[in-house]
Amino acid sequence: MIPAVRRRPPAARLTRALLASPLLASLALTAGLLLAAPAQAGIDDYQLGQGLELGPINLAGYSSVTAALPDQGHKSLAIDDLSLFISGHVTSLVNPFVEAELTGLDLTRWGGDGDRHRDGYVVLERVYNDIYLPDGFTLRAGKMLAPVGEWNQIHAAPLVLSTVRPAVTYRNFSEYATGLSVLYADPAAALPDIQVYWQPAEELSARPDSIVDNRYRLVQGAHVSVPLALLDKVGLSFQRSVDDQGTEQHLYGLDGHYTVDRLTLQGEWTYSTLSGPGTRTRSREWGGFLSPSYALDDQWSVYGWYEIYSGRLQDAAAQDLLGGVAYRPHPAMVFKLEYVQNVGGRPVNPTGLFASWSVLF
Amino acid sequence: MPRHRLMALLLSGLALAGPVRAEDIVIIAHPSVALTRSIGVGEVAAIYLLRTTVWPDGHPIVPVNREIASDLRRKFTTLVLRQDPGSLAAYWNEMHFRGKFPPLVQESEQSVLAFVERVPGAVGYVSGGIPLPADVHVVARVTVPDGWSPNNGGPP
Repeated sequence: MIPAVRRRPPAARLTRALLASPLLASLALTAGLLLAAPAQAGIDDYQLGQGLELGPINLAGYSSVTAALPDQGHKSLAIDDLSLFISGHVTSLVNPFVEAELTGLDLTRWGGDGDRHRDGYVVLERVYNDIYLPDGFTLRAGKMLAPVGEWNQIHAAPLVLSTVRPAVTYRNFSEYATGLSVLYADPAAALPDIQVYWQPAEELSARPDSIVDNRYRLVQGAHVSVPLALLDKVGLSFQRSVDDQGTEQHLYGLDGHYTVDRLTLQGEWTYSTLSGPGTRTRSREWGGFLSPSYALDDQWSVYGWYEIYSGRLQDAAAQDLLGGVAYRPHPAMVFKLEYVQNVGGRPVNPTGLFASWSVLF
Repeated sequence: MPRHRLMALLLSGLALAGPVRAEDIVIIAHPSVALTRSIGVGEVAAIYLLRTTVWPDGHPIVPVNREIASDLRRKFTTLVLRQDPGSLAAYWNEMHFRGKFPPLVQESEQSVLAFVERVPGAVGYVSGGIPLPADVHVVARVTVPDGWSPNNGGPP
């Protein structure tokens, strides 16, 4: 994904900040599990997109190379994401998951002035353990993606609609929660899927200030998703958070995904109220995007979205239109080419041409 | 798997009694899987759609699938999972990112048999005409309608 207007700091400072002990400890734990795991399957069983099974451990990840050609400012060809995730299903009590990611590494950069080559940085995206409880319940402890909307939960480039990410899917809430969560999934998919979560203190291995808008020291919320079909659903989100400036935020969200034959409609909307201290020009934040996509055949599709987004510091709501085409030669591999046009307000995503090649491996 | 669900599955009509035809689908599990009853199509689908992830004794379920080109996989996808292959591939990719293992692919019936026999918690499917090792458990049978084929079939 392209967080288009966020600045990326130099690698040395980031690496020191992010290669903190939790990441090393998590990787060491997973490496230990790998070494202890009896080989039940191996490289011969590898299928692109399904990871490498090593007994109860699965090694997988995704990569995304992105070309960003905004009309103004810097152009770049970059490794936007190189992610490795390791998951294990050992017993009902031991189901660890770790994801680490290299992001924002410029392969080449030109145009614009005053900015520097991005050297990339490593982030610890997720580290948690699941305990499977009876009757479809799961208890999760650790750092996880906050279930606000759908995009944030499946934000890997090969899985999402477009190269450029709508602002409403990440800008105005805590994308992560470090703490406890209870998830419910009805095996028959007849009842809603539910997740409640609670982060009582600072985020584990938080990304640096230079690339995040807000740091959260309390996060709690819930997401309810009503399955309509295998991929179709309607979801409701709630999140209460307090950031490090003391701003308290209450977010309410709606997301949906619905398919009719070759046409898919999806979208997310959020509305937040803000109170307490903190820098802002308004006490409400809101936004939403609506996206149609149409499958021309099994490999080609066209897509677009319209977004309106009003952040806490914006004097006028940003409005963007995007149109693109996707080619998917394999279910785990996709090429996207798209154009974004800012049609109102101060741009959140810049006008220009964007392309990406991403693979789930 | 809750007890009431197992009972519901028992009542769902997938009894193990009766002859198995070569065109039917037989669902098999590792010898350690301790089920005293057959399970139903809905519960098999819940396993392959990664909604049921542990056996009643708490051990992780390891579902096994056939390769995309397999006629048996198309039959299983249509009659048991009741999904189209494209949506299913996208769904499994999403679930994988969420930390669930998609079904592992084995490229022949003998490979499925060997995997299920070897890996604790494994569950797979084979054709009705395949001789089964004595120690694997048959947990369900799916009767395929007469004349059904991947090209003319659809969800019954």
